[in-house]
Amino acid sequence: MNDLIIALIKVVFIWVWVLLIAVVMTWVERRGAAMIQDRPGPNRAGPFGLLQPLADGIKLFTKEDIIPAKAKKLLFILGPILFSLPAFSAYAVVPFGDKIILGGKEIILQVADVNIGFLYIVALGSMAVYGIVVGGWASNNKYSILGGLRATAQLISYEVPWGLALLAIVLVYGTFSLREIALAQQGTFLGILPNWGVFKQPLGFILFIVAAYAEANRVPFDLPEAESEIVSGYHTEYGSMRLGVYLFGEYVNLCTLSALIVTFFFGAWHLPYINMASFLGPISYGIASFLVFFLKVSFFLWLFVWVRWTVPRFRYDQVMGLGWKALIPLGLLNLFLTALAIQLTA
Amino acid sequence: MAKPVVEKRYKLSEQVYLWELIKGMGLTWKHFIFNVKASFRPEPHTIPTCWQYPEDRRPIAPNFRGAHMLMLDEEGREKCVGCGMCAKICPANCITVENAKVPEGEEAKYAGKTYSKTFTIDWLRCIFCGFCEEVCPKGAMMLGPEYELARYTPEECLADKSMLLANFHKAKQEGKLRPPREPVPVVGAAAKPGEEKPAASADEKAVTSAAKPKVPVKAKPKAAE
Repeated sequence: MNDLIIALIKVVFIWVWVLLIAVVMTWVERRGAAMIQDRPGPNRAGPFGLLQPLADGIKLFTKEDIIPAKAKKLLFILGPILFSLPAFSAYAVVPFGDKIILGGKEIILQVADVNIGFLYIVALGSMAVYGIVVGGWASNNKYSILGGLRATAQLISYEVPWGLALLAIVLVYGTFSLREIALAQQGTFLGILPNWGVFKQPLGFILFIVAAYAEANRVPFDLPEAESEIVSGYHTEYGSMRLGVYLFGEYVNLCTLSALIVTFFFGAWHLPYINMASFLGPISYGIASFLVFFLKVSFFLWLFVWVRWTVPRFRYDQVMGLGWKALIPLGLLNLFLTALAIQLTA
Repeated sequence: MAKPVVEKRYKLSEQVYLWELIKGMGLTWKHFIFNVKASFRPEPHTIPTCWQYPEDRRPIAPNFRGAHMLMLDEEGREKCVGCGMCAKICPANCITVENAKVPEGEEAKYAGKTYSKTFTIDWLRCIFCGFCEEVCPKGAMMLGPEYELARYTPEECLADKSMLLANFHKAKQEGKLRPPREPVPVVGAAAKPGEEKPAASADEKAVTSAAKPKVPVKAKPKAAE
């Protein structure tokens, strides 16, 4: 019973936390874009425009909910749900801190430490594309269907390098559990560097982050949306809160992907050269590990925004070319080199 | 001669794309940091290319043509004599002037012997060309600095005399009154008198002066001073 309550608290806490990050991200995205483009951005609602997401939420909730007459109603309703559900559920296996000891009970800061957490994430990551395809198909609109088709074509060109990069990580750490991978990144590597995945897998990191941008449908790989080519892509026909769910799902996805990047490559909650557990109390250590983790996550969230307003969109065939002709050979090379290094050092 | 097409040969570092991407991100970072620093300044105009409109306005040009004003002279008398030349010249036909003799006992309020009983400008029709200001023999009309002319109903866009005078008082209070415009030199002076006679006949004094247009425009305000 006690465990059940703790699990429930963890689920609700991380759910609310991720939602909060997604809300703040809409503000960060808009203000960040504005600052990069030499304009102030939304700065009227509240101090620095911080209440803008609230205003947007009220707007989206009070707008008329339109389902086009020729749309397939069931699929149309299902689309946003299919898109945002995997984004939320992927967070279940991501550790958001080390552990916290409350009342003599050790609580792991992770909703579920699944020993195949890795496969779970890969599976759910591929699920999200169904939301886009179903939404695009059900809208009965040529731009929407083009957006959906692009999503599938993009999927098959980035899922392979993404999987190859993950395989190399599995080779390095020898486990599928995200918590064990995070724990293995304590200490130093080669004496001077922090023992982070990025120093063991530099090429793998580049492959992973490029694939992550494609996975999140973000610029420069936002082909399913591509507002300058196909209106708004898969969510052209969506309005009110259905659109809101799509956009929200995108930000939750960003949060999940940033958390994965941090877990795999940037030492999760470990600070470089400092072992927080050695001088902090059990409770303050738990909180500190959580904060360190989200400090790193917030950097990668910002990187998503930063790249978005720097790089123009890739052309459709260029994404395919990049995926098949550059990333997959590099991924195979990375896998081969990793295997070789492990064989030679073992 | 057509410009020969030169196919760009990309260097290896450009083909790899990653280094170029980092260079681009450096550029956007510079803009970001500059604007973030700027947005913490207290004054409303922080980011150089953006005007935060209601608090922070662009300076207007010295000869800006905004809302009309009916001018008063130094002694606080209305300069307008109600001659109707502005109504005559108005290309949008938006000015209506009703002329009358100054009633007994109210001479202190008006500079001339006649005055405009009503003076209405339809701002929905007005094109703000400034001809009324140029043609006025008394320098009684001027287009002011006010440009926020949006109203809720069409009726509110009919500017009557009190509004035009209020515009003058407001501009004077805020020190935004500019010196009168230099008269435009007249090229075809022969054609002018015939054209202006009927309008000018409203005021006896203006008839004589309008025979040689534009000169009195300059002369009269000086005489008033």
